[in-house]
Amino acid sequence: MPQLVTVRVNRPDRRPIRFWVPVLPVALLLFPVVVLVVLAAIVACLMFRIGAVRALGAGWRVIAALPGARFDIEQGRTAVLVAIR
Amino acid sequence: MTEQRKDILDMLAAGKITAEEAEQLIAALERDQAPAAAGLDARPKGKVKYLRVVVDATDNGEPSRVNVRVPLQLLRAGVRLAALVPPQALVKANASLSDSGMPIDLTQLKPEQLEALVEHLDEMTVEVDSPDATVRVFCE
Repeated sequence: MPQLVTVRVNRPDRRPIRFWVPVLPVALLLFPVVVLVVLAAIVACLMFRIGAVRALGAGWRVIAALPGARFDIEQGRTAVLVAIR
Repeated sequence: MTEQRKDILDMLAAGKITAEEAEQLIAALERDQAPAAAGLDARPKGKVKYLRVVVDATDNGEPSRVNVRVPLQLLRAGVRLAALVPPQALVKANASLSDSGMPIDLTQLKPEQLEALVEHLDEMTVEVDSPDATVRVFCE
C-alpha cells in the first residue's frame, strides 16, 4: 500500500511548491468518505451485475501496486512531479 | 559434480548398477539439465519491475520532457480490473472506437491475453526518433 505521495511543482518566477502526503493518516482522516465511496462502488457493481467482492479486490490490488509509480513532466521552466512510495 | 551424478557414481561403485546403466543415467541427467540451463540463458536480465516511458520533445522552441515510471504490478492489477468491465460497456466502447477510425473489437480481447502481453513487456523496447521528439518505451 502507498505510504507517501510526493508532489513537486516548479513554476517560472515563483517559489517551487513541494509537499508530502502521508497516505495512511489522510485515509484515516477521510475514513467516512472512504466508506461512502466503497458503498457507492458496491451499489454500482450490483447495478451492472459485477461481482462486488471481485471488483473491490481488483481495486485494492491497483491501490496496493501504486508504490514506485512516478510521473515527471517538464515544459520549459514549468515542471510537475508526482511520486508514490 | 552435481548431487545426482555423484549418486549414480556411488551406485556404480557399490555394484548396484552396471557401467552401461550408469552411462544411460548420466546421459538422461544431462538431457534434463540442458533445457533448464537454456531457460536461464534466455532471460539473463533478471526480473524487471517498471515500465518506463520517456519523451523528449521541443514545443515552440521550449524543451519538454515526460518521464513516467509505472510498476508492472500496476499494469497487471489494471488488467484484472479491466476484466470486470461489463460486456454492454465494451460494445459501446467498440462503437466509439469504430467511429474514431479504430475498428478494434474489445470483446475479443481476453484477460489472459492481456496478462501474457504484460508478462512479455520486459522483452520490448520501443524507440521513436523524429527531428522534434524522441520517445522511448522500455522496462527496467
